[in-house]
Amino acid sequence: MSSSVDTAIFVKPPTRVSAYLDWLQMLTGAGLIMFMWSHMVLVASVNIGPNVMNTIAYFFEATYMAQVGGPIIGATMLLHFILAARKIPYTSDAQGVIWRHARMLHHTDTWLWLIQAFTAMVILIMGSVHIWTVLTNLPITAAKSAMRVQGGFWGVFYLILLPMVELHVGIGFYRIGVKWGFIKRSGRKKFHRFENIWTGAFILIGLITIIRLWTLPIAGN
Amino acid sequence: MSRQLKFNIFRFNPEDPNSEPHTDTFMLEETPSLTLFIALNKIREEQDPSLMFDFACRMAICGSCGMVINGRPGLACKTLTVELPQEITLMPLPVFKLVGDLSVDTGTWFRATNTKIESWIHTDQEFDPEAIEERMENDLANSIFELERCIECGCCLASCGTANMRDDFVGAFALNRISRFIMDPRDKRTDPEYFDVVGTDQGIFGCMGLLACEDVCPREIPLQDQLGILRRKMAFQGLKNIFKPKEKGRHRRF
Ligand code: HEM
Ligand code: SF4
Ligand code: SF4
Ligand code: FES
Repeated sequence: MSSSVDTAIFVKPPTRVSAYLDWLQMLTGAGLIMFMWSHMVLVASVNIGPNVMNTIAYFFEATYMAQVGGPIIGATMLLHFILAARKIPYTSDAQGVIWRHARMLHHTDTWLWLIQAFTAMVILIMGSVHIWTVLTNLPITAAKSAMRVQGGFWGVFYLILLPMVELHVGIGFYRIGVKWGFIKRSGRKKFHRFENIWTGAFILIGLITIIRLWTLPIAGN
Repeated sequence: MSRQLKFNIFRFNPEDPNSEPHTDTFMLEETPSLTLFIALNKIREEQDPSLMFDFACRMAICGSCGMVINGRPGLACKTLTVELPQEITLMPLPVFKLVGDLSVDTGTWFRATNTKIESWIHTDQEFDPEAIEERMENDLANSIFELERCIECGCCLASCGTANMRDDFVGAFALNRISRFIMDPRDKRTDPEYFDVVGTDQGIFGCMGLLACEDVCPREIPLQDQLGILRRKMAFQGLKNIFKPKEKGRHRRF
């Protein structure tokens, strides 16, 4: 590690910027978690029946919630990325430090952070592509989604994106809990286990949904 | 049959221009209740007198014997070899300046950080040596003492990913220390003044919640709980008077 020599000859005026940015990072993260949970419910509704999904999608478009909400979610993701990326080491030097550190420490939570930083990059790219594709092809229907998945490319695309998002969301949820003191020392183990089960369940529901779309007869839907 | 322990020990003497960082291996027979403190002394006495490491109290009180034990920062005097596998790898604590082999200079870092966060009671009361000591509620005294138990061993810093990446991060040690003063009614600093000290990315907002500090602290100080409380307190302090420009924290000098 390089050690910086303190050569500042002026006193930095105190600001509240760090506090605001930390609030925003947490709030955008929490907002995106809420969205992803709702998103899962909407998409998984196809498992009940394609018509259920179509009805819900129609509702969101008729009320213009998809047309307005979609870009807002995209912008929130971008803002969250800009805020959280402040924490990701940018130089290969610092990346090497955290990588060697994690390998030395054998510490689950430190690994979780590295997973979070890695999945973040994948989500940034694949999530943007996904949002673009869906919003430029409105309306959303079960038939269109099924067709996309059955094309093969998008099927594999979602099989990669799904675990990335669920891991990032699950770890992010856990981290907000411990960072902001909602989860105390005594509750940490339990919350951790709950989070693992929760994340696993979401990946499972997501997989079932992808399989359902992959096998859905397209004609007539 | 007692185990033959294999020690892989990091060796490097920055003072010696011919010294290169490398690992030396020592074998030692395990004896009952063997601690790393005893083991290292035996190795130095019987095998290599040039081995450098720090000890003073050998009972987890002075905080000098912090080192990385099979990847985890911990106190050598408190660690029994029976808890470890047959092969034991010892490295100096990262983050701090290396003195040589397993010995690091934690003192300079703690001194500088304590100065930076003004780690003393700020009061305008004259000290009267004749007066009876002021009373404090027992519960409050206990909860302050709970945080005061820190021995400045540096394990929290060495285990913290943030502190390893960024050398301006004050670490769980300093944040816990500030929590201790916030609790103490004798310290007359106000919340805006504490905010100026730790309401920054070098302070509580730099912490990413990796909780390695919580998991390695040999004194089991409730760092997770204190970091959470401090983040909430400082985050809300940051929102107060959100529409007024921030004055330079009227940093009172006592
Ligand atoms: C656009 C790509 C994204 C990037 C680059 C990104 C990056 C990150 C990083 C590096 C962290 C750790 C920050 C820290 O420890 O302080 C983080 C935290 C988090 N992320 Fe993301 N993220 C992205 C997208 C998302 C999405 C789509 C969601 C939710 C669906 C999400 C939810 C969260 C949550 C809840 C946290 C915890 C917040 C906190 O610790 O304050 N992120 N993100
Ligand atoms: S908080 Fe714990 S790990 Fe950190 S210096 Fe104090 S005693 Fe050591
Ligand atoms: S919680 Fe993590 S980032 Fe924060 S001080 Fe502890 S080890 Fe460092
Ligand atoms: S020798 Fe004092 S803490 Fe280990």
